[in-house]
Amino acid sequence: MTRADFLARLKRGLVGLPTSTAAEILNDYEAHFDDGAEAGRSEAEVASALGDPDRLARELKAEAGIKRWRQEQNPSAAAAAVFAVLGLGALDILILLPMLMGVIGTVFGFGVAVIALFFSGGVVMVAGPFAGFPGGGVAAFLAGLGLMAAAVFFGALLAVFTIWLVNGLVWFARLHYRLLKPALDSYASNPVPGDPA
Amino acid sequence: MPETIEIQLKKGVLGLCVLALLARADSYAYEIASRLSDAIDMGEGTIYPLMRRMQSEGLVETYLVESSAGPSRKYYRLSDAGRSALAVQTADWKTFTNAVDAVLVDPAPTPSVPAPVTTGDDQ
Repeated sequence: MTRADFLARLKRGLVGLPTSTAAEILNDYEAHFDDGAEAGRSEAEVASALGDPDRLARELKAEAGIKRWRQEQNPSAAAAAVFAVLGLGALDILILLPMLMGVIGTVFGFGVAVIALFFSGGVVMVAGPFAGFPGGGVAAFLAGLGLMAAAVFFGALLAVFTIWLVNGLVWFARLHYRLLKPALDSYASNPVPGDPA
Repeated sequence: MPETIEIQLKKGVLGLCVLALLARADSYAYEIASRLSDAIDMGEGTIYPLMRRMQSEGLVETYLVESSAGPSRKYYRLSDAGRSALAVQTADWKTFTNAVDAVLVDPAPTPSVPAPVTTGDDQ
């Protein structure tokens, strides 16, 4: 593989990362080829010593996704981290995906319920006093306020749970991937030429 | 699959080796990669995901050094957190290898369990 091939495959694999991050990574590998050439190695030698660019791209992407999740704990970073980690093929998707879908669906359902509770609280608070709420206007106002507060409480609880869930998934995938996947991959791809023993 | 455990071990200590190299002198990725690929036979490409992870965990810092030929080069140095991580991991590694060595190298000293071997009854 030539330098251009390697970098092109790496670049293709890094699609989806912020362009500045991808450029930084590509710079690192270009510098590696430069240093290799300076040390008198051919492009093909350097490329084969570096390893499979597709796999490196997946690993770099997962690393970047996890880093972003650590820095900004928001839904889009969570989604990016989860997809990057799934992209590693680290998890047995066939087993995990139905479970994950169930959990994500439940979380989503609770989210909708919380939002609905908040708005219905608002409606009770505003419209209740004029709609003959049992107990009178003040009771309606307080009941509405109470519903909204409950919605905020459950929403916060849900956010904490979701953050915990994504962290757990990232931790598990990383452990699984770091310990198991590289070993199995390199075992399958280079069956150790000539054991020295 | 003896190769599998070997690769797992290498993968696990790669980070420790990088910390140890950087503790001796600041270095750039190509140099680290070639030192380590010689020493423990790792794919050179894995150094970059590892360096990015160590950077995002705050174990290493980077700075640019002007080079006489070509673009400036990115050097890595240990941060204080990196230094303490090195100390902790080195201690862990020593404890671990000592424990394994004790099992592998010297099976002679009888473990404390077989107490019933005492020949008190025969006398």
